[in-house]
Amino acid sequence: MLHEHSPERRNLVIQLARLGDLVQTLPAIEALQEVYPKHTLDVLCAAPLTSVLAGAHRLGRVIPWDGAQWRAWTDRWRENPIHTLQAMHAYVASLGETAYERVYALNQHARSHLMTQLFSRRSSREDEQDRIEAHRRPWAEYLRHIATHRGNNRVHLADAWCGMSGVRPRGRAPLFQPPAVDLPDDLASIGKRQGLWVALVTGAGETDRCVSPATWGRWTKEFLTQTDEGQVVLIGSGRERETGQAILESIPTLLQGRVWDATGRTTIPQLMKLLHKCRWVIGADTGPLHLGSLMGSRALGFYFSHARVHETGPYGEGHWVYQHARQAQPDSWPIMESIALICDEQRRAAADWTLWRNRMDRWGTRFDDGSGQESVEEARATVWRKLSPTLCESVAA
Amino acid sequence: MNLLDDNVARLAVRNEPLAAAVKAKTGGAFTIEPARTGVPSARRSGRWIHSAYDPLREAETWAETHAPACREGETVVVAGIGLLYHVEALRKRLASDVAVAVLIADLDEFHDALVARPLGSWADHILWLSGTPVEIADRLSKTGRPLRCLSYAPATHSDSDFHRAFEQALCRGVARQTGGQLTIALVGPIYGGSLPIARYVRRALETLGHKVQWIDHSVHASSYEAMGALKDARNRHLMQGRLAEVLSQWTLAFLAESPPDLVLSLAQAPLTLPVLEHLRKKKLLTAMWFVENYRHLTYWQQMAPGYDYWFVFQRGACLDAFRQAGARQVGFLPMAADPELHRPMDLSDEERRTYGADVSFVGAGYPNRRRLFPALLHRPWSFKLWGNEWDGADELRSVLQLNGARIDTDTCMKVFNATAINLNVHSTTGASLDPQADFLNPRTFELAACGAFQLVDSRSQLPDFFTDREMLSFRNFDEVPGLVGQWLGDPAARQTMAAAARTRVLSAHTYVHRMRDLLGHIGLSQPDRVGAVLRGDRQQEALLARCAEEAPLESLLKNFPAGQRVELKDVAARIRSKGSTATLKREELMVLMLDEYRSETRDLL
Repeated sequence: MLHEHSPERRNLVIQLARLGDLVQTLPAIEALQEVYPKHTLDVLCAAPLTSVLAGAHRLGRVIPWDGAQWRAWTDRWRENPIHTLQAMHAYVASLGETAYERVYALNQHARSHLMTQLFSRRSSREDEQDRIEAHRRPWAEYLRHIATHRGNNRVHLADAWCGMSGVRPRGRAPLFQPPAVDLPDDLASIGKRQGLWVALVTGAGETDRCVSPATWGRWTKEFLTQTDEGQVVLIGSGRERETGQAILESIPTLLQGRVWDATGRTTIPQLMKLLHKCRWVIGADTGPLHLGSLMGSRALGFYFSHARVHETGPYGEGHWVYQHARQAQPDSWPIMESIALICDEQRRAAADWTLWRNRMDRWGTRFDDGSGQESVEEARATVWRKLSPTLCESVAA
Repeated sequence: MNLLDDNVARLAVRNEPLAAAVKAKTGGAFTIEPARTGVPSARRSGRWIHSAYDPLREAETWAETHAPACREGETVVVAGIGLLYHVEALRKRLASDVAVAVLIADLDEFHDALVARPLGSWADHILWLSGTPVEIADRLSKTGRPLRCLSYAPATHSDSDFHRAFEQALCRGVARQTGGQLTIALVGPIYGGSLPIARYVRRALETLGHKVQWIDHSVHASSYEAMGALKDARNRHLMQGRLAEVLSQWTLAFLAESPPDLVLSLAQAPLTLPVLEHLRKKKLLTAMWFVENYRHLTYWQQMAPGYDYWFVFQRGACLDAFRQAGARQVGFLPMAADPELHRPMDLSDEERRTYGADVSFVGAGYPNRRRLFPALLHRPWSFKLWGNEWDGADELRSVLQLNGARIDTDTCMKVFNATAINLNVHSTTGASLDPQADFLNPRTFELAACGAFQLVDSRSQLPDFFTDREMLSFRNFDEVPGLVGQWLGDPAARQTMAAAARTRVLSAHTYVHRMRDLLGHIGLSQPDRVGAVLRGDRQQEALLARCAEEAPLESLLKNFPAGQRVELKDVAARIRSKGSTATLKREELMVLMLDEYRSETRDLL
């Protein structure tokens, strides 16, 4: 007698934001895989970022979403709506299976909600999706509130996305193996010889979060002067090539042999491999810091402007963040202090900056400044109990 | 058989009359010479039509440049035949659902081309167009297909009149197809002579059925004038410049609320170059009707690259000057009248006494008028002078009305209607008549539209608009007293001439005609945007007709009323109106998704 083949059960996570957000989604992805081990979990993300997830364990499909194509269709619709609708149909069909049992949309914009409907199995929309929405909504409102009013939030964004997905953080950070890609010949020897390899993130996604080439030049010069075993790898996109060059030129010629300019020369997998080869990654751009911690390097962030350590600090344990006291562009930078931290694990204060280190606990990751505030954990627990009471009941049990 | 016979035989299969006509020609328009690569090239009047080195490669480059813009369903009309290298290259690059038509302005040229090169099978898929420009344009317009005009410039030079006439006829043809409603943002000036014209333009566009977003900067005129009271010229210019910048930004904010299909500015509209560049980045089409003498107001030199289209009321050197200054497209668009305002009036006896005279002039006190008009004093007929800026013209004080106050349009119309002979002397800063008389002022058309008799200084364009049975002109101001004496005594002749001029204006020279031409010009060069709307391609019924096999879209469209223009945002709004709890179909979700992306793209600020 033939057994009826049970259809595969598939869930989908939608994360359309930038690099850092996609990496910060991994704790939720891994927690969902743990809770639903028999379900296949797919991820839909921005097309240029699909390679980030190539090393994720047990992940089903990584579906590329081509936002540029959709923007082009807005023009094309005006010329020929019929062909545009046909093209959209063909595009969605080309993505393969689109009838998911559960869809976890982590972005707050309207497109994300539309995708939830587009990718939900029709029969599951009203019951299962309602349950997911019941988990999602309180966290979504909380995140909107934090984005608007800031306040004293201590729940990390990656953990909030766990809450939105109806799962608890697993208590450990995701860790990827390096991709099997070749580096450009002149960068291939990075990390191979003994040394304190540091990847330096030269730019930032937003202009107001950029550290000047002069500051990075000073940092590099001081670091290389202080430690003979220091090696610096400049990383960044094609837009940062000039910045990389400016940093390099600001360093004495004798030290330049220990600086490796990889700006604009790596694909995402190559960048991941580079980061894996470095012991530390330092910078003000959260995306590469998250990617670095995912690849096993220790992250040290300079957070200022809108960046806030408690929400978007590097995920996991043993990473450090210097948080500036004000939102304005800093007047001074913790250059010597951060070098002391990297070289000797010396925790030094810097004027206008507070230093935070992260740890993992049952609510995910948290940052403390060494002042031993026990109330921090309790504050996070309160948020979790309020926003995800059923999850907290299971913890208590 | 020789090449010509082979080619004519191939042509005759599809177009026997053309084949016979071209065979009957003797050719000789081109001098055929071998290019360096060995293939034939050609010269006309010493100028190379094709490359002397490699005509094939040159043609490929030309086709490569133009082919990407050509869309399926269009007819691409190529002006300039030469030896047809470029036509062959273009035809081979385009898909079969893009039709290619070639204008044959000169059968001798075509004959030469058929003698020089063999036609391949590609030529079987060309629509060869011969005849008069108007006949060809009519034929193309009747196909109902979107038209895209390309010009192979080296080969159009010798037939420029033919091509200009063809383009004009085609614009009119496109304009006549005004089946659809455009949304046009009309940006007016803060003050000045172009302000009333902006209002006429608005009414004309609305008469044509388009939706006008009127951005009226005249509400800020009092602030602008207040700044004009500053004694320090530097501060005055600085402050007025800043206000203009703010108004430019304000225009941008206004446009962001509901982006139009076209932003149409009138001369002096406060739009800065950076804002125009920003609008281009956001893919908004911009046009400027520069209703000023380009020699007097010269700020267009800095602004020329900013607008997608310029329209000017001078030809020749003016068009060249704009192009040299960086204007992308410049078209000729003369002034006009608005028959709703500029019309015959029934005046009371008292009004006739107040506003009437044997001879009147309405206008500002430009230097040439100050020098010329004293010759009209102390005559056996009465003379009245209306308008402002006559300070210091003491000699004319006795005839100046209302102490030289600015008069409104209503008063102006009464003067026109009550006067036996309206004098129309174009302004200039010199002492006599305008030596560069290459345009017609609005007053010419306005007087004619009123059915008012006028005596106008001779202009080079005048014969293009009015015959000498419709309008009386003079070349020398010394002629004026004699002409006045002659025509004052013949009211019937004056009335006949004035009526003929009015008929002419109503049939061809209103702002409605001008706006039709302007939109026709833009529609022709933007067949898939403005052109598509004008053709009615975005109307519900046209969309429905085209989606007979696309059931999902049909179901989205059928709820709209026939005759309504339906855009993406309209379809999305209809879907959203189902409510947030409605279960939507896949195509509905995709439309909403697309509309979200549209909102982001359209974020003008």
